[in-house]
Amino acid sequence: MTLQECYQSLEGDFADVLGRLRSEKMVQKFVLKFLNDKSYDLLCSSLEEGNYEEAFRASHTIKGVCQNLSFTKLYQSSHQLTEALRNGLSPEAPGLAEQVKKDYEQTVAAIHRLQEENA
Amino acid sequence: MSKEQEFKQKILIADDSEMNRSILTDMLESEYEIIEAENGIEAVNAIQKHGPELSLILLDIVMPEMDGFGVLEVMNKRHWIEEIPVIMISSESSSFHVERAYQMGITDYISRPFDALIVHRRVVNTIVLYAKQKKLVELVMEQIEEKEKQSSLMIDILSHTVEFRNGESGLHVVHIRALTKLFLEHLVQISDKYSFSREEISMISTASALHDIGKISIPGEILNKPGRLTKEEFDIMKTHTTIGAEMLENLSFHQDEPLVKEAYAICRWHHERYDGRGYPDGLKGDEIPIHAQIVALADVYDALTSERVYKKAFPHEKAVRMICDGECGTFNPLLLKCLTDIADTLQDSLNNTGENQTDEKELQDILEEKLQPKEISASERMVQLLEHERMKCSFYASMSEEIQFEYTMNPPMLTLSGWGAQKLGLPEIIMDPQENSKVVSIINIEDIKKLSNLLKSTSPKEPVVKYDCKVTIDGESRWMRIVAQAMRLLDEPEKFTGIIGKAVDIHEARLRLDALERMASHDTLTGLLNLGYAERRIMEHLRDDISGRYVLMLLDVDNIKEANDSRGRMFGDQILAHVAGILRQNTGESNIAARVSGDEFLYFAKCNSDEEQAARKVMSVLEGEYEGFRISVCAGTVSTEDEGKDYKELFMKADKALLEAKKGGLGQHRSYKNV
Repeated sequence: MTLQECYQSLEGDFADVLGRLRSEKMVQKFVLKFLNDKSYDLLCSSLEEGNYEEAFRASHTIKGVCQNLSFTKLYQSSHQLTEALRNGLSPEAPGLAEQVKKDYEQTVAAIHRLQEENA
Repeated sequence: MSKEQEFKQKILIADDSEMNRSILTDMLESEYEIIEAENGIEAVNAIQKHGPELSLILLDIVMPEMDGFGVLEVMNKRHWIEEIPVIMISSESSSFHVERAYQMGITDYISRPFDALIVHRRVVNTIVLYAKQKKLVELVMEQIEEKEKQSSLMIDILSHTVEFRNGESGLHVVHIRALTKLFLEHLVQISDKYSFSREEISMISTASALHDIGKISIPGEILNKPGRLTKEEFDIMKTHTTIGAEMLENLSFHQDEPLVKEAYAICRWHHERYDGRGYPDGLKGDEIPIHAQIVALADVYDALTSERVYKKAFPHEKAVRMICDGECGTFNPLLLKCLTDIADTLQDSLNNTGENQTDEKELQDILEEKLQPKEISASERMVQLLEHERMKCSFYASMSEEIQFEYTMNPPMLTLSGWGAQKLGLPEIIMDPQENSKVVSIINIEDIKKLSNLLKSTSPKEPVVKYDCKVTIDGESRWMRIVAQAMRLLDEPEKFTGIIGKAVDIHEARLRLDALERMASHDTLTGLLNLGYAERRIMEHLRDDISGRYVLMLLDVDNIKEANDSRGRMFGDQILAHVAGILRQNTGESNIAARVSGDEFLYFAKCNSDEEQAARKVMSVLEGEYEGFRISVCAGTVSTEDEGKDYKELFMKADKALLEAKKGGLGQHRSYKNV
C-alpha cells in the first residue's frame, strides 16, 4: 500500500499534506507516529469518567494533529466534537463521539496496513 | 547571524500534543536547539530556566495545567515578553483568540494546518528581527557612552586648566562632580520637592565641574596668594562668579543647551548663602537654585577636606561637624540632612570615583529613560483602546434610544448620554442633580429617593434594580423603566461610589398592558369589575384590614327575564348596563362593585352603620325607570361583623339571603342573620 492509498483509505487529503510538509518521507514518518499518539485514549477515558474539560482538550489535540496531517474525515468529526465539548457536555456530544470513534478506527486501520506492508 | 555563533540558538516549543511538537521540531532542529514543554507550567519553568537565552517561543493555546494565554500572562507580568518573541500556533482561528493573543504581545500568529516552509520562514524572520533590535540597542548604548566620554573629556580639560592656574590638583573638579552627584541622588530620594531624572543628575554634575571657570581671569597673584586677601583683593576674587557666568552667557551658540543653563546658574550662584549673606547677588533661601546650593556645599566640603596653600586638610568627620555647626556658612537644612545621611559612606564613594564617571549600570538606566517613549506608546495604545470603547458605547447609546446615565457620589454628578440629554432637554453633565430644578421638574423626587433606596439595599451579587416611574419628556408625562446598578469599591463592596443605568421609554407598552389588564379585569357589557378580579380585591381587603367592618351584598335586578322576553335580549342588556352605570357612579374608591352573572351584581362596602340601612340605600339608588321599564332590585346581605371574614362563606351566605329575598317578591331585602 502506498502512502497515497493509505490517505485514500482514511479519507484524507494527500495532496494538501504533501504541499504543506513538502516531503513524502516526512509525511509518512508522522502518519506512522499517529499510532503512538495518546490523545484518543485520553479522550475515551475522560469521556467515560465524565471529565469533559479533559475530553475537550483531548478532542482539540486530535483535531489539531489531524489538521496538520490533513486527515480530513477524522478532522471534521473531531472538530465537531471539540465544539460540542467546548462549554461542557452538550446533547450532540455522545453521537459525535461515536462518529470520532468510527473515523479513528478507520484511520488507524489504514495506517496499520501501511505499516505492515512497509515493514 | 547564526553562522557567527558557535552554539545553536534555542527555541521553546510548548504544545500538549507530542505529534505537533515533533513536526515542528523536525522542521527546525537542524538549525536550532529545541526545548519542549507539554503544558503551560512546563513552558513557564523552561522560560524561567533559560531566560533570555531563548530566541523564540512557539506557543499553543489549548493545553492542560495552564493554557497559552496563562503563559502570556506570566510573561507579561515578569516582562519576559519584552525580551523573547512569541509566535502562537493554534487551530483556534476565531478573531477573538487572535486579537487577544496580539494584545498580550505575541509577534506572530500561525493557524493550523500550517505550511512547513512558512513556519520556518517566520521563525527565522522573527529571530533575525529581534537580534537586529538587540544589536541596535547595544549600538545606541555605545553611542551614548561615547558622547558622554567626549563631553566629559572636554570639560575635564577645561576645568583642569583653571585649576592648574590655581595650583590645585585635578582632584577638586573630580570631587565636586562626585559630591554633586551623590547629594543630588540622595536629595531626590528624601524629598518630594525635587525630582531629577538620572540624565539630569548626570548633566548637572557635569556642569558642576565648570563652577570656577571665572577664575581664569583672576590675576595669578591674587589667586595663589598664600596669606589672607585684602578687602580689595577679595572683591576681585569674588568676581570669578559673575565672570564665569558671563563667559557662558556670551557663548555665541549652545545658549539653549540645558548644560549651559545649569552651568550658568552654578557659576554665578555657588557662593550665595542660604541666609542671604553670600555673593554676588545676595540671594536668600530657595531663591538660590538648588543645584547651585549643592555645588556650594560640595565646594565647602572639598575645601575643608583638602590641603590648600593656606591650610591643612581636615578629617572627614571634622569637616562634616564644622559644616553642620554653621562654622562655614549657612546651608539649606535639607542639604545638611543629605550630608549627614550619607556621611558614613561619603569617603568610600569619593575614593571609588574613578576616571570614568559614568558606569555601565548608569548607562543602562539612562538608556532605559531614553527608551521611555516606548512605554508611553504602550499607554497610548491603552488610550486608543479606551477611546475605541468610548466611541463604541456612544454609538450604541445613540442607536438604542435609551437614556444612559452615570451618577458619581463624589463629586455628586450626573452624566447623561448625548442622546439622553437631548431627549430630556437637560445638559449632559449636571452637578448636584437632586438640587437641580430642571431635574426635579421632570422626575418626582420621591421616585429618585425610592430608586436610590432600592439600589442601596442591593447586594454585590445582584446589583441590578428595575424601577418604573413617570418622567416628563417634552411636557408629556411618560412611563419609563429605569434599569440601574450600584457601583461599589472593588475591595470594599459596602461602599458605594455611584450608579450606572439606563432609562427606556415603556409608555406605549405600559398603556397597552394597562388596557389589557383592564380588559381582563372588567366585564365588557357593564364596565364593572368581573367577579374573579373583584374577589381578589375583596380578599385583600378582608386580609389587610383586620378591624374593618364590611357588608357584602348580592343584588338581583327584578323582571329582567320578562324584559328580555317582551322587548328583546338587547333591551335587557341595556337595562343591566344602565343599572351597572348607576352602581359604578355611586361606588366610592374604597368600595367594590362587580357583575356576578346575568342580572346579578355584587357590592362590597365598608359599613359602620346598620346593615339593613346600607342595603336599603343601595337599593333605593338603583330603583327607577329605564325607557318604560320599572327597575327594582332584590338584595341579600351579610356582614363581616356577624359572619366572619371568610370570603367564600360570606358569598354563600349572601347568596342564600338573596334567594330568600327573591322569594318575598320584588324589591325585597334579607340579611343572612335573619334567614
